[in-house]
Amino acid sequence: MNTVALNSHASALLEATERPHLVQGEQTFSAVTETVCGIAERPTAPPGFWWLFGFTACLTGLLFTLIGYLIVTGVGVWGNRSPVFWAWDIVNFVFWVGIGHAGTLISAILFLLRQKWRTSINRFAEAMTIFAVICAALFPGVHVGRIWLAYWLFPLPNQMSMWPNFRSPLLWDVFAVGTYASVSLLFWYMGMIPDLATFRDRAKTHTKKFVYGIFALGWRGSNRQWHRYERAYLLLAAISTPLVLSVHSVVSFDFAVSQVPGWHTTIFPPYFVAGAIFGGFAMVILLVVPARAYFGFKHLVTTRHLENMNKVILATGCMVGYAYAVEFFVAWYGGNGYERFAFMNRALGPYAWAYWIMISCNVISPQLFWSRRARTSPIMMWIVGLFVTIGMWFERFVIVVTSLSRDYLPGSWGYFEPTLVDFGMFAGSCGLFLTLFLLFCRFLPMIAMAEVKAIMPQAHAHGDH
Amino acid sequence: MIAQHTETPGSANDVHLGCAASKLRNVGALLAVIGIGVAAFVTLGAENGVRHFMHAYLLAFSYALSITLGALFFVLLHHLVRAGWSTTVRRIAELLTAAFPVLFILFLPILGSVMAGKPVLFPWADVQLMHDDHLLHKKIAYLNANFFAVRAAIYFGLWTLLAVYFRKKSIAQDAAPSAELSLSMQRVSAPGMIAFALTTTFAAFDFIMSLTPTWFSTIFGIYFFAGCLVSFFATAILLMVSLQASGRLTAYVTIERFHDLGKFLFAFTFFWGYIAFSQFMLIWYANIPEETEWFLHRLNHGWAYASLALLFGHFIIPFVGLMSRHAKRNRKVLTFWAGYMLLMHWLDLYWLVMPAYDAETPVFGAAELGSTIGFVGVLIACFAHAGRNVSLVAANDPMLSESLSLQNQ
Repeated sequence: MNTVALNSHASALLEATERPHLVQGEQTFSAVTETVCGIAERPTAPPGFWWLFGFTACLTGLLFTLIGYLIVTGVGVWGNRSPVFWAWDIVNFVFWVGIGHAGTLISAILFLLRQKWRTSINRFAEAMTIFAVICAALFPGVHVGRIWLAYWLFPLPNQMSMWPNFRSPLLWDVFAVGTYASVSLLFWYMGMIPDLATFRDRAKTHTKKFVYGIFALGWRGSNRQWHRYERAYLLLAAISTPLVLSVHSVVSFDFAVSQVPGWHTTIFPPYFVAGAIFGGFAMVILLVVPARAYFGFKHLVTTRHLENMNKVILATGCMVGYAYAVEFFVAWYGGNGYERFAFMNRALGPYAWAYWIMISCNVISPQLFWSRRARTSPIMMWIVGLFVTIGMWFERFVIVVTSLSRDYLPGSWGYFEPTLVDFGMFAGSCGLFLTLFLLFCRFLPMIAMAEVKAIMPQAHAHGDH
Repeated sequence: MIAQHTETPGSANDVHLGCAASKLRNVGALLAVIGIGVAAFVTLGAENGVRHFMHAYLLAFSYALSITLGALFFVLLHHLVRAGWSTTVRRIAELLTAAFPVLFILFLPILGSVMAGKPVLFPWADVQLMHDDHLLHKKIAYLNANFFAVRAAIYFGLWTLLAVYFRKKSIAQDAAPSAELSLSMQRVSAPGMIAFALTTTFAAFDFIMSLTPTWFSTIFGIYFFAGCLVSFFATAILLMVSLQASGRLTAYVTIERFHDLGKFLFAFTFFWGYIAFSQFMLIWYANIPEETEWFLHRLNHGWAYASLALLFGHFIIPFVGLMSRHAKRNRKVLTFWAGYMLLMHWLDLYWLVMPAYDAETPVFGAAELGSTIGFVGVLIACFAHAGRNVSLVAANDPMLSESLSLQNQ
């Protein structure tokens, strides 16, 4: 026991002052290529893959069936009724948009901050961003009801001279999420080009050579190409950085510009951004912990990577807790009776169960990560990741539903109850997310090979400078 | 594995203030006495003079406090994220945080006005008003003199403790290079950061937001924090440039570190704009009377010009000016922007504090100028005094070599 304590202290000391190698074991460049390409090049998927895929594909089928049912019948198939006209649809939208933020943060901000550990997980997280945005966009898309007029979301010139309301944050959302989706896609794809070229060069069949070849855009890995690539990467990182802030800020405006007690508060933009990063990192943990064991790249995504992510979860969890506390304090300090009521109602009213789920999952559960043992144990972090994901869904539920269900007039109060279609569509969106993710794992380079190689010691034979 | 960096080849290894320390301390102290003295002299005789003096004093006090808080945050963050690049800059921040105990003493006149029940600064200090006004009456559990004093003591106590802890440990590392010291600073930094976040937020609520006791904004703590960071990075750049102009630290702080500091100055200028916009837009949009009151004063009469000056001067112009790589890698250009942002940060605090004194006309004169110069003098004197016998760079920090060699892309 004593030696263990001594050893852990010694390793803590070493970590405090040294930068250990991020990739573990005796890795060579070709070994990295073999590991990453090997996953996609296996003639058959690993055992159980298609079972899992079948399951998620069924859920996706459920989603699209229910969307069909909704379009034919109307949005009344959801539980949305007076006074709660916004419910799970917007909750799911905000939930999924938030999930994507980890990807943008890792690819943009951590890059600008020279955090080299990002290279093993960025591809993963960026893919997750894109799939999460797809899931998010579905919900407002079908909520418009007359889905054949969904293009009215965009300010298109038309013979009726009808325009969307430019003062509405819902329209800003269209732009914010649209920009976010396109820049994220571009960033993800551009980063993948050198790796796609590797896939192309190693492909055994003509079809694969052709398809990967198309997407590799004729990459040859010349000096000049690499130079241009690095510049473009830096520029895209700089462009993406404000997007990390803007997207969820605009989402928060949907609520905060209103006068609804519990929605209108100025801390919403940064608070939503912190929450989004929090939830996004939890989702990365949920996916990467099983994936690295299943596909066998524990030496590339090491415990150190996971521990760093858990520290980000702890930090952003504390920020979210800070926001809850400040909101509560100012609701009291402001002296407005309705605002005070809204917050007391959250904590003690009919939705108190949801509020306390939110607090336990988002504020209390990540506190486990103060312990190094919890931060480095895959099972513990997976459980906390799950709690955080649940908690972040409930956070949006608490914000959206509690405030609407009891507004200024007690006569119009109500209690929201979801329908089976609500449950089915949310489960279906998880299915769609996982289906896309599994396809990504099977066919695309899950780890940014070129970037990982650049941070290996061999890449800096003459020192790290 | 710990390298000795006390001797750097070449001539540029002067890392001590030496005899300049006492000179600088005296100059700072003199500025403080003269500045605050002039401010008191021109106001205290006049009608409404105490109110005017106290507002100008609070403005200058907040200015010095924000820079010092920014420095404390920088030190905490450095250890929290186990940063490397900032090692050569960190000591400057540690020395700046030496101002906390002095600032606490200088806070006593503000506290005194509250304890005496005189509403010269904070209307809520008037006990009668608090009982008569329906809205304010609800806040009496928080806005009262005794609790205010307790909170202020907690804030300054925690800030001083954190500042002393990190400065002592860091200086101890100069003499005896040890990874243990790095580890213990890293361990304290995480709870330290939480203490910092809460104290800074509530200090912003107490010292500035409660000047208009009916007004509230949940983002206000973050708004003040953004200003702290802008002013700290600007101060760090100016200090570094002046120290290098006197031949010190030239071998330690390369253009790469200026570039990094410039990036953070740019980032927090942007962050400030983002937070300021969020606060304004949400209040403007919802248009609820108890919130718009605060902005109405600032968007009408003479204050409209100050608001516009902030929008352009604190956000749009420096955003464009600091964006390019060239601006951050040219010492002269960067020095200009650092000085400029310090001015803008002052304007920001002026815009926060002074409408509470005169809601129609922005007043500017010897009172504001004098007290500001006075408090800058306080910072200089504290910095010089803390730096009199210590190295200006954390010379035996294990991360120093990384900071010396790291290059930007």
